[in-house]
Formats: sequence, structure tokens, C-alpha cells
Amino acid sequence: MTVEQAPRLSLRGISKSFGAVRAIRSAEIAIRAGRVHALVGENGAGKSTMIKIIAGVEQADTGTIEFEGKPVVISSTGDAIALGVATVYQEPQLFPELTVSENIFAGREIRRRGQVAWAEQNAKVVELLELLGLPARYATVPVGELSIAAQQQVSIAKSLAGDAKVLILDEPSAILTDAEIDVLFTVVRRLTEAGVAVIYISHRLDELFRIADEVTVMRDGQTIGTHPIGELDVRKIAELMVGGILSDERPQRAVPDGEPVLVLEGLGLGGKFHDVNVAVRQGEIVCLYGLVGSGVSEIAACIYGIDRPTTGTMRLRGRPIAPRSPQDAQRKGIALLPANRKVEGMFSFQSIAFNISAGHLKLLSRLGLLVDRARERTVATDMIKRLAVRTPNERQPISAMSGGNAQKVVLARQLVERPEVLVLAEPTQGVDVGAKEEIHRIITELAENGTAVLVVTSDLPEALRIADRLRVVRGGTTTVEFGPDATQVDVLAAAAGALDQEEGAVA
Amino acid sequence: MSELANESSTQRVTTTRPESGPPAGRPQAKARTRILPSPVTGQELVLIGVIAVIWIVLAFRTPAFMTAGSIEPLLVATAPIALIGVGMTIIIITGGIDVSVGAAIMVCSVLTAKALVGGMSAPTAVLLSVVVGGVLGTVNGLLIAYGRVHAIIITFGTANLFLFVGLQIFGSRTVNGIPATFEIFGRGDEGRTFGVPHAFAITVVVTAIAWWYLRHTAGGRHFYAIGGDAHAARLVGVKVQRRTLLAYVITGLLVGLGSCFVIAQGTSTLDQSVGTGKELAVIAAVVIGGTSIMGGRGSVLGTLLGALLVQSVTSGVTQLGWSSQLSDLFVGIFIIVAVGTDLLRARTRRTR
Amino acid sequence: MTTTAPPTPAPTPADTAKEGPAGRLLRVLLTQRIALLAVLIVVVVVWFFVLDAGGYLTATYNFDYMSASLINAVPLAMLGLAELLVILSGRGGIDLSVGAIVSLAGMIFGFTYGEWGWPLWLAIIATAMFGALLGAVNGFLVAYVGFPALIATLATFYAYKSLAIVINDQSPISTPPIQTLFSITRSVSLPLFGQYVPDVPLGLFTFLLPTVVLVWVLLARTTYGRRLYGIGTNDVAARWAGLPVRGTRFKAYTYAGLISGLVAVVTVAQFASARPDAGVSGNGMALPAITIAVLGGVAITGGIGRVAGVVLATLLIVWLNAGILLAFVGNEGSQFQLLALGAVLVFAALLNGLTTRRYGGSR
Repeated sequence: MTVEQAPRLSLRGISKSFGAVRAIRSAEIAIRAGRVHALVGENGAGKSTMIKIIAGVEQADTGTIEFEGKPVVISSTGDAIALGVATVYQEPQLFPELTVSENIFAGREIRRRGQVAWAEQNAKVVELLELLGLPARYATVPVGELSIAAQQQVSIAKSLAGDAKVLILDEPSAILTDAEIDVLFTVVRRLTEAGVAVIYISHRLDELFRIADEVTVMRDGQTIGTHPIGELDVRKIAELMVGGILSDERPQRAVPDGEPVLVLEGLGLGGKFHDVNVAVRQGEIVCLYGLVGSGVSEIAACIYGIDRPTTGTMRLRGRPIAPRSPQDAQRKGIALLPANRKVEGMFSFQSIAFNISAGHLKLLSRLGLLVDRARERTVATDMIKRLAVRTPNERQPISAMSGGNAQKVVLARQLVERPEVLVLAEPTQGVDVGAKEEIHRIITELAENGTAVLVVTSDLPEALRIADRLRVVRGGTTTVEFGPDATQVDVLAAAAGALDQEEGAVA
Repeated sequence: MSELANESSTQRVTTTRPESGPPAGRPQAKARTRILPSPVTGQELVLIGVIAVIWIVLAFRTPAFMTAGSIEPLLVATAPIALIGVGMTIIIITGGIDVSVGAAIMVCSVLTAKALVGGMSAPTAVLLSVVVGGVLGTVNGLLIAYGRVHAIIITFGTANLFLFVGLQIFGSRTVNGIPATFEIFGRGDEGRTFGVPHAFAITVVVTAIAWWYLRHTAGGRHFYAIGGDAHAARLVGVKVQRRTLLAYVITGLLVGLGSCFVIAQGTSTLDQSVGTGKELAVIAAVVIGGTSIMGGRGSVLGTLLGALLVQSVTSGVTQLGWSSQLSDLFVGIFIIVAVGTDLLRARTRRTR
Repeated sequence: MTTTAPPTPAPTPADTAKEGPAGRLLRVLLTQRIALLAVLIVVVVVWFFVLDAGGYLTATYNFDYMSASLINAVPLAMLGLAELLVILSGRGGIDLSVGAIVSLAGMIFGFTYGEWGWPLWLAIIATAMFGALLGAVNGFLVAYVGFPALIATLATFYAYKSLAIVINDQSPISTPPIQTLFSITRSVSLPLFGQYVPDVPLGLFTFLLPTVVLVWVLLARTTYGRRLYGIGTNDVAARWAGLPVRGTRFKAYTYAGLISGLVAVVTVAQFASARPDAGVSGNGMALPAITIAVLGGVAITGGIGRVAGVVLATLLIVWLNAGILLAFVGNEGSQFQLLALGAVLVFAALLNGLTTRRYGGSR
């Protein structure tokens, strides 16, 4: 069925500026019915803005949009919905106090004689939930009571409830487990078979080969080409994204041995994780690799005293510790870079210096009472230099900086008091490739200067690149361990559960 | 497959799954039993209980309490707060607040009172009051919905402006010689039918309509969506600005009607303290009724009960011969207890 | 409680270099609240001088009059600073109870100084401490139990207001010691250069100035100030950065109560009587205080706001009100003060919204 017809949706000559920032310089894209069209690019390449233009959240400054061959104007989200454009955003856009059923039909309730037809709506929701493999009883549960992954699936169900002709999935897999991704792909395929055009945005390039038909790459606010998936491989896409040859050389370094600094033994927390065993030596980089939902982020929170473990022990230099709070953990020499920079890391409209000195005010004070502003400035400028933060001075607000630079500032905060143990949760999430490389270099340097580094990540290439040892977290517990020469395939397979029988053999 | 067929097949692919067939009655019937949360919340039941306890205690302490002569004025006094509380509940559900209602009551009452002195008939005067209230609500709504400024700031500002307008109309004097045109809303015999005060009956009817509207219509549910996440509401096509405006306009209209009750309850003289502090009394009733100040959750039934509770305490304190000012202390305590138990409940639910 | 404004990137230096002098002036006025307030103060004062010269005022509007009117700035600015502290702490921080604290603490001052004959200094300390205790109740409810600030302080507003009235059976305390206290609000000639400048109300030096300086030091120089801005900007990040979020927020409300306690002393002195409804009569004291804070550029969402903004906003309102009183006869003046206050607040709020959208916020 290779009938050439007008694309379902096409955008040409699109540009968009926010104030002085040109988010999109020139972009064009054509989405066909029954196809999955992947849109890839680094953060800041303009993908999200493109989606927002299609979804009617933003309006393009220039350019034309055609829907099924006819020019259209999408000036509001309502316009987009009326055309049949449904969008699943990265963060679930749901109403916690309303039930799943209400959420799915929010904005397009089925109405009978002025009232919402609850029973009718519910019946449809139950079908949708079955389609996604979710229990039917979810229909009447307030969304706020569901897990984040379930909420994501609800927002997919929500996009399916309308008569979608174009479905935009903005990084739907980012917080789903492998099994959930399989369900998602099944649903996407069923939709394309029925003629829906799907725009699929993802950072996990490998999964594009399972689902996408064609790939459009964006770089610096421009679309730089659309290719059938058959012409591409991961490396080629990555090269198109960064605009050059990707060097994936792993810096060789001597793996230290000696007494472990931080040891977790049989650590567990309620239903979140159990029997977690990890040891990090001085100068060593250990990665805990696990997909989101595997419990990997909760482990980090426990080490830092955000949560209290219910079983097992933590030892620091042989002494058992039980951090009660982040302050307590800091006092013991543990620092943590939080996973969600905007929510857990940044004091957005405050200066770089403010962001670096927060949490170290005792150290940077006179008599513990007044801020020692001279020392604060020295520390901040030192850190800016050391981490190569690109900024004119330390007084700039952090909100004006790019993701990578802001991440370096938040990282700088963790280094002020030279922690013995540094825990990094998703250290390069939402960071561009250049800054990612620099952050990896910084992490390696820290280890070489004797810090015990524990990286908690769901980014496999990252884990392979920097880890001296890599431990896979699956189903809430640590499993197989790999050395620095592990391959992507092996680790992925372990994370998905294929290497159970070989446990111990590699380590 | 022809293009045409392909095209038409996209129309309704997603909502139905023909191959699975209808879900064979059972799940549907099951779903029907609890499609919506229970119509009366736990907090509302507790409020009913507390009010009952207060009434019973009062009945034992002062046997005169349980007579119509005590209950009816109580219901009449509850009416304006509960009525305006309906609007305030909607505003707070959307995540907003309106601290200008006290000043708006002053504007509506002084204008209407003067009209009554001038011999205006009751229906026209009610209409006048409601229209004036609606205008004031529209001012708030426009500034908040389209100026995109936090509601508490804007309504603090408009409260001053309304006070200015009200005092200007007063012209530094009290309004004297208000005729009994509004006695149908008052405490007297004219004000009730079969012992039910008209003001309270109207309030109950308005509350019932609002209750149905908020619970069973798409428009009503959208208020909750806005309070839950205004940005997400905009993304699903809820007309956030128009809905927000509507919430303040409704409140304004109810302020207009409530002001008529206020005049009816008063003497033939209206002084410049009219409406003072009423905004906080209304907010207190809403909050005691279980509506979350963070938006997204609440019910007008709770507000009616909250207002009734506050009024029961106020009249109870005087009936027991205590200083009437002591009732405010109880209002404060009730707010803390009502919201506090809600907070604790949410906390235990989260840890579980 | 959610804003729908999309996050707009702040302009780059290259961007700001392109605009002309007019554009730059506009940007400075909109983003630098201090500059805007300073300009507005000059405009208001010049305007009333012109009106005065033209004979439109009922009495002379000159520096002496402006200086004398500053007595009104004392409670206003102090409560504005109290609101600054709690609003800065974020999570919808606000204190509706300051007026009720002024009433209740004022009664305590009346008892201790007026009836029990405590020495003045001890009575002042006791009153301030009592205010701090009332503020601590707010702080406990908000920071440790998790009440929304609006609710907690609404409840305590009612409770304190009621207690203030009940505590002395609705009657004010105006014993001789209280009545003679009026002298501390008189105007005095400044030493050294007093002959060149107008006499200044004493309360300015005894209460307002120390409070301004202390709050400024607290916010701009101490580690506590840093923590307060930190939790107000982002209290989740503050927790992850190891800041004591609850303790910091608790203290903000306690300090606000402390300042309200001091205002109670000033108010008792001004009225020469400890009145049970001092802080809550009419529209009370909380509303003007919040207005002053917002006008001074304090963001209701927390984390943004400066002492200088609050002080300048107070001067603007006080001198504007003083002029309005002379421009109208009788009660009209106080009514037009309401108009001015309301209009200025709505204007400032709309301006805040505009600035946020256009320049990514003011500071």
C-alpha cells in the first residue's frame, strides 16, 4: 500500500522566536497517514517548539501549515484538537483530584441533555484501559492516587479517546518500563494500521528502529533532513544530530582498588527496593544502571537521607550510618546531585553564586551568622572556572542559562565541601552533547582526585562511558555487575532480565 | 484498499474496539455503581454531626433554642454568607480567591438601600443589586483572567476601590428610613412560608443548582480542572480565561442577591460598616466546608454546612450569655480543626 | 495558584544592547522596582508642591508636613516588612493575622505597662516576645503542620482578634502611664543639623529605623536571609540542598509576629490607649501591609523582594495619602486614599505580570 497522497500534515518555512531567542530558524516536516514519524534532535534543537506549534500551544512567526493538502491556521489548542491533533506531553498533563475517566474526557466530555454522560464515558474508558493493559477499576480512581508510570499511560489513553488523526508522543518512553514500552508500541502500531499519523519524539535512538518509519533530524532550530529508517543506524542519527563524527572513545584509566568508602548491604525500602548491595571505593566510579521505575532513583534518595531505609545497612568507611536528612548526609561527607534539575536543583531566579553557596552557608559565613560574601565570590568564581561554566560573572541568574550550564552550577554546589562520596542522579539528563562530555570529564577528574562516585542513571551509553564498575538494577534490586569492558547489548539484556542465570559470572 | 476507505477508517478508530465486542454488561454495571465519588463527603457528614451536637447542647442549656423563634433567625442569618459562599467556593475551586466581597457587599447594599428609600419596588431593587454585583465581579474577573495576576493581590486592590465607591455613595452619612420593601427576605412573618425563611430557601435552591452544575456538567467539571492544573486545562481545550471570569461574575451576582438579604436583616438604617469583614467570614465558611484553598477540590454543600456551623456557634455563644466576640475564637478553632484533619488525612493516605 | 504564563527566556546582553535609550529607560523602570518607586515618589511630591503653589490644597504641602506625616509610615512600613518576611518564604506565604496580633499584643502592653506598672523597656520586650509567640503559632501551623498560610493566618486572625476583645472585657486600657506615652510619638529636632531639616517624628528613630536596619541585615547579609530566599525560590531544591526548610519558614512567621508586637507598642503610644480593636478596626492593618509589600515588588510566589522596595513603597503611599488629605475636605480625603491605594495596587500587580512576561521578572 504505497499510494502517494497529500501528507496528513505538513509544515513549511516555520520559524519562531521567543524574545531574542530563535527557537526555530527554518523547519519543514511532512507527516503521512499510517506512518510513525520520528523527530529527533538534541535538547534545544527545537523539537518541543515544533510540537507546540502543531498542538496550537505556540504560533509560528512565519511559515505555512497544511492539513490533508489544505492550508490551515492553528491558533489555539482548541484548533488543533478540532483538526484531530492529539498530544501526549512528556510530563503527564493531568488533574490529580479528578478521576481517570474524567481526565480522559476532560475538555470533550460526552454530554447528554446538558449533563455529562458518566456511564457512557466510563464504558469507553474501561475499553481504553483494557487496550493499554490497565485494570478497569482505574476508571473511577482519582489520578493523583496512581503511580507516575500509570499516569503516563492514562495520558496516552486520553489522547486515544478523541478521534485522533495525528498523534504526537513527546518522549513517551522516558518514564516507562520495558514492558510498558512494549504495550505502547503495540498500541502505536494498531493506530498506524488504522491510518493515524504518529509523531514520535525520543532520546532513546535505539527504540526508533522498533517503531519509526521515517526520521526527521533537527539541529540548531533547523530540520536538516528526513530519512526512511532503513537508511539509518543509531550512529548515523547521532552524527546527524551533533553535525559531526561522534567520538565514543572511553578514556582509559586505572581502576583503583582498596577499601570501599561507601557500602550498601541488603538495603531496602518498603515496596520500592530490596536487597541492594553496592560498594564504592575511593577514586572509583560505580554506576547503578536501571530503567526508570526499577527503583534506582529511590536508592539515591535513601543514601542522601530523603527517605529512611527499612532494612539493611549503609556503611561509610566501615562505620554504619543512617542519614536522617540531607543536612545529616552532608555532614557525614555525602553529596548528591538531584535527578530533576529544575525541581530539585535550581533556585531559578537567583544568581550563580547563590546557587553554589546554598547548603554551604555555615562554611561560607562569619560566626555562622553573616554570609562571607568575599569568600562566596571566590568559591563561585573558582567553581565557574573549574567546571568551565559559560557565564560573564557569578552574579547572573541561573534561569538565564542553558541546561548544561545550569547543571554544572548545581553540580558545583555538591563540590564545595569536597565530599568523600558523591552520588550523581541522572547527571546529564536534559543536557546537550557538549556539556554532557564536559560533565563526564568532571566526574572522571573527581574520581581521580579520590572521591568515591556513585552514578545513578538510566542512560546506558553514559553508564558504559564513565563506569569502572556497572551494576544493573532491575525489579527493585541490584543484579549483575559488569566491568569497564561491558557491551551495550550485554547490559541491556541484563536489565531486561535475560542474563539471570549468568549472575556472578561476569563480576 | 482505496484511498477513500482508508480515509474514512481513520474517523473513529480509537474509541471502539469492535473485535472485543461490548463488555457484556458486567463491567458496565459495576462501573455504574461507583462512577463518581460519593455525593456527600466525609467532612460534610462530620459537619452535620458537629452542627447537630451544637444544637443539642444548646437545646439542653437553653430550652428556648429548639423553638422556631431561635432556629429561624439563625437560618436567615446564615443565608447571605452561604449564598455568597457558593460563588466563593467556585472561585476557590479554580484556585483563586476573592477578598473584595465585603467591599462589594457595601457597594451593592448602599446603592440598593438608597434606591429603596427612593421608592423602588422589590423586584427592581433586587435586579439592580444583582446587576451591580455582577459588574463588580466582572471587574475582578477581567483583571484576574486577562491581567494574569494572582487573585489575592487584585482583589485586595479592588477591595479598596469598591470601598471608595461605596463610601462615595454613602456620602459620609448613614442611609436612613429604608422602607420594609425587602421584608420577604427578613426575619419577620413576611419572610417565611410554612416556617421556612425565604432567604434560606433561596440559598438552598441556589446551592442545589450549583451542586448539580459543578458535579454533573462539563462546564462545572472544568472549574475543578482549572484548579487542578490551569496549564493542562488550557491544553485540553478548556477555556480557562472565560471560566475564570465566569467564577468571579457568578460570585458578583450572588453578592448582589446576598446584599438584599443583608438589607432585609438590618434595621431601617444602613451604616458604613456594612460588609466589613464579610469576605473573611465567607472564606471561613468555604474552608470549614472542606474546599481546598489550593484549588481543584471542594463542594458547595460543604460551604452551606460551614456557614450554618459558624452561625450556630455565633448564636450559641450569645444564647449561653458569653461575650459575642468569643464566637470569632471558635471560628478560628473550627478552621484549624477542619483543615487540620484534612491535612492529616491526606498525609496518612500518602504514606500508606 | 498556577500562572499560565509560559516561561520566556530572559533577554541576552546582545539583545538589550540593541534597544534605544527610551527602551532602556522603560526596561529599567519596569524591571527595577526601586527605580520605578523613586520616580513615582518624585512625581507625587512635585505634583503636590505644584498643587500647593497653585493654591488647590487646604493647607501647605511642604517638607515639614511631609516629615510630620512620616509618623504614619512607622506602623505601615514595619508591618510591610513583616509581610515581606512571610511572603518571601514562599508556598503562598502571607500573614492575615498581623493586625490581630497588633491588637492582642497591644492589650498585653496595656496590662504590663499600664496596669501592672512594669518598666517601659521590660513591657516592650514582653510585648514583642508575646507577638513573636503569636507569630510562632502561625509558623508552627504553616511550616510544621502544613497549613496553607492563608488559612492558618485567617484562623489565627479570628482567634487573636476575639481574644484581644475578650481579654479586657471589650474595654481599652488608658491608664496614666499609657496616656503619657504619647510623648514618644512627638516630633523632635535632629541633633547637629537639626536646624537645616524639618523636625522628625521620634517613632521613626526608636522603632522604624532599627527595624528597617535589622530586617535589611537579616535578609541581605545573614545566612538566615539566604536560606529564606532559598526556600522561597524553590523549597524542594532547598530540601535537596540541605537547607532547614521548616525551621526557616517557621522563623519567618515568628519574626513577623515579633515586628507586629513592636507595632503594637507604637500603636498604643499613638492612640494613647491600648484599644482591643487597634489592628482590626475597619479594614485592619493586614491589608495595607500586604499592599505595601506587593507595591514594593515582593512577588506573592516567594523568593523575590527587598527591604528598600518596601520602604520606598511606604514613603510613596504615606506622602500620597498626606497630599490627598489636603486636596479634599473632610472625610472625602480618607476615601480618596482608599482609591489611591487600590489603584496603585492593581497597577503594580498588572505591572508585575507584564514585567514577568516581557522581561522574565523584576528584582
